[in-house]
Amino acid sequence: MKRVLAITWKEWRQTIDTPMGYVVAVAFLLASGFFFGNTLFLAGQADMRSYFHMLPLLFMFFIPALTMRLLAEERHSGTFELLATLPVREVEIVAGKYLAVMLQLLLMLVLTLVYPASLSTLGNVDGGAVAASYLGALLLAGVYAAICLFASSLTRNAVVAYVLGFAMLLFFFLIGQASPEFSSAMQDWLTLVNPVDRYQSMTRGVITLGDVIFMLMLALAFTALTKFQLERRKWS
Amino acid sequence: MAVGDLSFHVRKGEVMGLLGPNGAGKSTTLMMLTGFLPPSSGSATVAGISLDDTLGIRRQIGYLPENAPSYTDLDVQSHLRFVGRMHGLPVGTLQERVAAVAGLCGLQEVLPRRIDELSKGYRQRVGLAASMLHDPQCLILDEPITGLDPNQIVEVRRLIRQIGEHKTVLLSSHVLSEVQAACDRIMIIDQGRLRAIGTPAELAGQMRGGSVLRLRLKGETQQMERQLQARLPDVSIHSDGTDKPDVLILQHADPEAQLAEEAFRAAVAADAVILEMVPESATLEDVFRRMTGGRA
Repeated sequence: MKRVLAITWKEWRQTIDTPMGYVVAVAFLLASGFFFGNTLFLAGQADMRSYFHMLPLLFMFFIPALTMRLLAEERHSGTFELLATLPVREVEIVAGKYLAVMLQLLLMLVLTLVYPASLSTLGNVDGGAVAASYLGALLLAGVYAAICLFASSLTRNAVVAYVLGFAMLLFFFLIGQASPEFSSAMQDWLTLVNPVDRYQSMTRGVITLGDVIFMLMLALAFTALTKFQLERRKWS
Repeated sequence: MAVGDLSFHVRKGEVMGLLGPNGAGKSTTLMMLTGFLPPSSGSATVAGISLDDTLGIRRQIGYLPENAPSYTDLDVQSHLRFVGRMHGLPVGTLQERVAAVAGLCGLQEVLPRRIDELSKGYRQRVGLAASMLHDPQCLILDEPITGLDPNQIVEVRRLIRQIGEHKTVLLSSHVLSEVQAACDRIMIIDQGRLRAIGTPAELAGQMRGGSVLRLRLKGETQQMERQLQARLPDVSIHSDGTDKPDVLILQHADPEAQLAEEAFRAAVAADAVILEMVPESATLEDVFRRMTGGRA
């Protein structure tokens, strides 16, 4: 655990010492502020439903940017050789990096708490639904981060890692968009496996244990894939 | 296969140099010893630990990968602290160890600087410092001296020598003079195979299969050559490669051939004057070139 935290700390230092982390965070807050302000000022609704509805789309653009260099850059600059010859297991490397990106995502979500806070001064906010939505957003971000971290482990090039991560997230998004075209049996099945659908049901204030476990398992599955990918050099 | 049929032993308190031309399999060998790349067959123990226990090995070794990679967007201090924490150094001793290796590698002034602002020589030293942080039993250094300026080379060499008195050091290089100056023993590999192993003197001795004499003459050089051929039918005579007609290199397969004596008599008979007569021995350079097929 000490080593996991050491890696998290290192990633954190690299994020706050370089403009990249700030640029992504600020861009995310600007974009999310736009969607939030849209409903509030243009539609005149003191409501966060459409904001949370748009959030997966924002995640799709911003989470690959947060994760793209985490593993690709290590390989590219040769530091992976340094890291992998320190007394640390691959699973600890993945856990440390995943924890670092989740902390950053958590911080970004915490900063958006000003929206419900400012709304509550204007009207009645459904506190329960907002809390459920935030939990759902955090879980969805966790799934997305795991997918994009895996994408970063597949290549030495951070830009390729971004595109790969984005493409995988786009796949889930498009399935969700296309589902009305499928047969109803297919639709039921797709709703079952699509994390975005699970998230959307959470934003309606319905949290089921099944949804939470599904999201956690999906994140776990992709972090496990990442670990195997890091160990792959040992198989050849 | 990058490396095959390679077997060696490095003693404690010894600096072993791994020498070979580019692509000979030096880095691959070192990567296998650090547990980064598992060998497809064969075995090795590092500090008494089998390669199968890669975590155990990684605790015992300090490894400087080729080109000394480090987290360039961290400052030197943070980078070293990170490596120390990964080795599980307790917080109390961490600061102490960072200061100690920084002192040893001459990094005190650059501790708060970001690594990407530093020159190649400093980065190399950061890598070296990081590899020594946990006071490992065995140091594995891939091209530690490459890319340094002459002053730094002397410093790093002295540093490696100093460490090598108590620890086991295995370093690789494709530059002969580096290895010769820094190592107790040298092994030469080429195309993944061991070609020669021994102290620099032993290796040079292996090459001295005959006797070589270098002469500088004044006067009847051609007459001299004829006289020499008559006296020693097996001698081969050639110039030293430059355009100096008065320099002759005599080579004889038999180390016991009385080259100097016969040269003197031939000179008297030919009425030539010997200005200079130097017996030559094979240099490590010759060994290296011959072992690696002259591709170095």
